[in-house]
Amino acid sequence: MVAFREKLIPVALPLAVLSWLALLVCMLLRAYAPAASQWGTPPDWLILLTQAAFAAGVFVYERSRPDRLRGAEFVPLLRQLLLGPGLLAAGAAGLHLAERLVLPAGMATNPLLLNTLYTINLGLFVYFLARTCYAWRSLVFFRAQPSTRREWEWFELLLGATLLFRLVQGQNLHWTVYPIMAILAGLGVYLSAHQQWVAYLNRRQKWEVVFLQAAVLGVMATYLVYFRYLQLAPELAGPLAQHAFLLLTSFFAGFYAVMGLLVTLFNLPTAGVFEQKREEILSMQRLAQLIQKGQTEHEVYNLLFDSAVQTVEADAAWLDLFAEGANPFLEHKVDATTRQGICQLLTDYNIGHIEYLNNDLPHSAGFRALGLEYGSLIVMPLRSSKHHYGTLYLLKRFRQGFDRENLSLLQIFTSQTVLSIENLRLLEHSLQNERVKEELKIASLVQEGLIPKTLPADSWFEIRWHSLPAREVGGDFYDFLQLSSSRIAIIIGDVSGKGTTAAFHVAQMKGIFHSLMLLDRPEKGQPLQPSKFMAMANQALSHCLERSSFITASFYIIDYKERGFAFARAGHCHTLYYNAITEESFYFQTEGLGLGIIRDASYEKRIKNMYYDYNPGDVMVMYTDGIVEARNAEDEEYGEARLRELLSRSHYLEAEELKQAIITDLEQFSRGLPPFDDQTLLVIKFKNAQPMA
Amino acid sequence: MKIVQNAANDTLTLALDGELDASSSVLLDNELTKPEILNFRKVMIDCQRLNYISSAGLGVFISHLQRFQDAGVRLVFFNMQEKVHNVFEILGLDSLMTIVPSEQEATAI
Repeated sequence: MVAFREKLIPVALPLAVLSWLALLVCMLLRAYAPAASQWGTPPDWLILLTQAAFAAGVFVYERSRPDRLRGAEFVPLLRQLLLGPGLLAAGAAGLHLAERLVLPAGMATNPLLLNTLYTINLGLFVYFLARTCYAWRSLVFFRAQPSTRREWEWFELLLGATLLFRLVQGQNLHWTVYPIMAILAGLGVYLSAHQQWVAYLNRRQKWEVVFLQAAVLGVMATYLVYFRYLQLAPELAGPLAQHAFLLLTSFFAGFYAVMGLLVTLFNLPTAGVFEQKREEILSMQRLAQLIQKGQTEHEVYNLLFDSAVQTVEADAAWLDLFAEGANPFLEHKVDATTRQGICQLLTDYNIGHIEYLNNDLPHSAGFRALGLEYGSLIVMPLRSSKHHYGTLYLLKRFRQGFDRENLSLLQIFTSQTVLSIENLRLLEHSLQNERVKEELKIASLVQEGLIPKTLPADSWFEIRWHSLPAREVGGDFYDFLQLSSSRIAIIIGDVSGKGTTAAFHVAQMKGIFHSLMLLDRPEKGQPLQPSKFMAMANQALSHCLERSSFITASFYIIDYKERGFAFARAGHCHTLYYNAITEESFYFQTEGLGLGIIRDASYEKRIKNMYYDYNPGDVMVMYTDGIVEARNAEDEEYGEARLRELLSRSHYLEAEELKQAIITDLEQFSRGLPPFDDQTLLVIKFKNAQPMA
Repeated sequence: MKIVQNAANDTLTLALDGELDASSSVLLDNELTKPEILNFRKVMIDCQRLNYISSAGLGVFISHLQRFQDAGVRLVFFNMQEKVHNVFEILGLDSLMTIVPSEQEATAI
């Protein structure tokens, strides 16, 4: 069936043209007696056959044309229909009709001319009908269910069948045909109910469509008059055209046009509402787009204000933002007295911060007292769960000015706005975070630069170190200073707390260390005692350390000439030591209070000096609490005991290897858990060799 | 971190439960900052359930030490776990603050 229809399409147009020419020849033969006598008179059935073939050809051809409806361009579709075939057909028929009417009664026209014009007009009319029907098909199918398409195909098929009626039954139709025609007409009426497309027109387009449909009806009316008139003309040579088919298609084309016209007309009063909805959707889209574009807050507020005033058609409005102080951020046809009056009243009623709709201001005593020229008021706060940004006030002159729709739309507008403001602020925030991160990176680099990288190349001891801050910058510190050719000062410490604050104190502590080292004058018999160093550092810190902060430190002065060292501990972790002679590892258990805990002269009493003579092969391990307090997944601490055992096992290693062994053991213990606190480790191994000259 | 308070006569007992770290030390600081605390003769800190103390936690006690001393309020720690006591000891606070093994001894002071 489908294949057969496909084959029909290419022959449709030639069939239509040829059968129309045949019809013309037949009509002329019958109208012109001399020719008829020579060529013979064509019978009625031939004329009817050519007419049917022509109509079928035109309809099949028109059916196979691509859909003329582009998207939702309804007006151009109708305009094309009317300005093309419609105007042509109406013009031709109208001219012929006019010519017939102005002729004096009784004066016969040339039968050849009349029949030629009749055949042309018939052709134009059939073409116009086909175009109209298939234009209506486009409209019927617009957003229609698939079942509608099936109904339409049945409609077409039955209509095609009616072409045969005239051929089989002749001039007068048998009564059995009437019910079939009634059913077809009913189907046409049913299909005419598909007028969804009207809803997609705006007000201007609706007016245009009304005129276009009326014009289409006008063309059909012209033909109705024309055919009625010609039916009576004695000069008409052939039988009248296919009435059942033409009648039914004209009926459908006309009825659909009438229905469309009526639907459009009835839709006209509501066109404004539709357009308003459209405007609202567009405003929402604009707001949503601004969110993504990341415009400024001012732009977002401006857009909210304009959209709100436009959509609810407010007579006066203003927007208060808390960030802007007492003056309204935006206003629209409102004076200060009205504003202040309303705001004061709302505050008095204690409803200044909530959503509020009053559609009958003159009936509320408070508002009546203000003597406002407005009847309705909406108060819409702009708030999120955390923050109240401002309030939007809208006024209308008349009572009952706002409805539920307005209110819910404003709610959407304001929540959209709040969302977009919060997005903007988040963006701003993350930019700032980014800046802070950059600065922390710089601080980290600066601190990195403060860590000593090299030590005087002496061969009487080896020192290795490791430092890992828990954050970008840390509170651990260590430093070395060569005091003289045979003496070196070492400090290791930890500032309470972590991060930037601690890092500042680290820098301070380094300054204190280097300044106080200037007081070391062994050549004058005044070597710096470690306890004295701690006391002075404590005094220096007492002015710049906040009350709840403190610093722990261990300070050592190693003298290789004497083969010994002096040290003091200020609350810092005990120093771990391995004695190569006794083959024992132990912690130096000395007393000493952390720096900054007491800030007067009594501090010095709480720090003890300790002296120790070292032997080649001895190992000293200094560290911060980040090492011994490192935890594993079971929340156990690494601990002093474990560290001591490790040293007992590995004391023979070189300083570098020993340091690595400790780090590896620590990593194995914490199994990939990130360090919770800064970790610093110094390993010193004493040697036999004498310093290089 | 939970702090249970118990005031009897001229003594205030604060029982610390949990870990005293940077965030929970704010709670303790709020308690110790209250001006009415200086009306007591003695503030006893029950450390039985104190599992961990960070430098921020120590900082809270350190920062109030002088103030308590000036007002004549004794600060006494008792029932301290060894781990926590070790932290006090390393920092040298054991010589500065009164730390006793049991509640009885704390009350007797």
